[in-house]
Amino acid sequence: MAQVKLRSRMNFPPKPDSALLIVGHGSTENPDSSTPYFDHAREIRNRKVFGEVHCCFWKEEPSMREALYMIDAEEIYVVPDFISEGYFTQEVIPRELELTGPTSRVHGKTIHYCDPVGVHPSMTSLILQRTDEVAPGVPQEESALFIVGHGTGLNKNSTKSIKDQVTHIKTLPNCRFAEVFDTYMEEAPFIADWAKMAGSPNVIVVPFFIADGLHSYQDIPVMLGFEKEEGQAASQKDVFRNNPYSLHGKTLYYSAAIGTEPMMADVILDQISTFDSQHVAHPETH
Amino acid sequence: MSLTQKLTEALNSGINQIGQIRILQNPLRLHHIDDSDLGALEVHTNPGDAREISLYADDGEYRFTKGELTLKRGWIFQLESIDDLRRTIDLFYPASLGLWQATESGHIRIQHLREKLDRQSGMYRHARNLSDQGAQELVQCLCGPSNKCVKKILWNIDETLPLQDSEASRFNGIVGEADESTAIPMVCQEACNFFVAEARKKSKAEFEAKPA
Repeated sequence: MAQVKLRSRMNFPPKPDSALLIVGHGSTENPDSSTPYFDHAREIRNRKVFGEVHCCFWKEEPSMREALYMIDAEEIYVVPDFISEGYFTQEVIPRELELTGPTSRVHGKTIHYCDPVGVHPSMTSLILQRTDEVAPGVPQEESALFIVGHGTGLNKNSTKSIKDQVTHIKTLPNCRFAEVFDTYMEEAPFIADWAKMAGSPNVIVVPFFIADGLHSYQDIPVMLGFEKEEGQAASQKDVFRNNPYSLHGKTLYYSAAIGTEPMMADVILDQISTFDSQHVAHPETH
Repeated sequence: MSLTQKLTEALNSGINQIGQIRILQNPLRLHHIDDSDLGALEVHTNPGDAREISLYADDGEYRFTKGELTLKRGWIFQLESIDDLRRTIDLFYPASLGLWQATESGHIRIQHLREKLDRQSGMYRHARNLSDQGAQELVQCLCGPSNKCVKKILWNIDETLPLQDSEASRFNGIVGEADESTAIPMVCQEACNFFVAEARKKSKAEFEAKPA
């Protein structure tokens, strides 16, 4: 299968004098929601490509403003561990970190603000790897792939990254999926309509979220039809262990959130490499 | 001076506590200040374990604010370096060391409550309508040790309006009876997001309580 190769595992040039700051949403209700960020940080820390690796959050501690006090390095790469462009990446994070552009001088430090991980082309590789893991040996020619996002009528950018992924996967030379759909929880095309959309006997569903939580444990399974509304929610990971599900005459394979994929660490590094190639090599004045 | 150097100096000068954590040297160890039988404690050597330990209180409540006075007991970290010690403390008490260093050096950037509330957007923008008196009441019912927070509040309502005198406003950020020369104070440089969320609720309640 042709995939977009993740470049950074072998090629990321070490930045021992720089810090990486991974920004996540976090939650005041579900600790699982911040676990992937710490996992991504640990993986990158273990590779010793940054002098420091830290996480900060909107809903948990440290806050974005507090996080700057944790960092010794003068140069900081900030990577939003978010699945799409939107309110948080375009408004909240720049405001909280007092950013003025792609590269900002803030309280004596140089901060490079990268794009969110979810919009990087190398996410395609993760999606395809995840489909292989969740439905091993299932022929793609007889399968429909559904990528599920949240969707909101408030921000068109929130669906763009998923639409881009679908377009990208469809155009891969060796893509053999019979069908590839972008679907959403709260706007059309709705994931709840999957059975009407899929013409293939096999269906593979990949939630396009950073973390597992209420949406992937309960909301999407209810929309797919294999969980009941009143089921347990938080930390109920059995929904990922009972594959496949037989529903509407089809065989459905359900994946955990794409952000829980360990290779997300590579996407973070890819996003930094992309930033460097676009900005650091050609410094801008802000 | 790096944070690691600052922490090294502090340990050499006799610092042995932060929040609910005791710091022991030679060898480097960390344990809960209320645990005394160190041989009975579960041994950890990986700084990353601190996140798991600090997630829940004994009653099962999720500790999304890490300054809560509800840190579980029963563990001891045996660490190899000051860098590992720094990482472990930063997982138990995120950014606490950096905020302490910035406070000591005078480089802390204190965000008064009005600045914090005024920059909120989205669903939290209504928090800015909270009255001064409502803000004072919130401090007294959310902050300080009696409300399970171990941090010393550095901010005021705004540049000209200080916090009203209370246990919360007087608290020095040091748990228990430890002397200030032996403990790193936990400081609060700006109201936390839990406070902002509660400010939004209180602001809404104030609005609804106004006569039509």
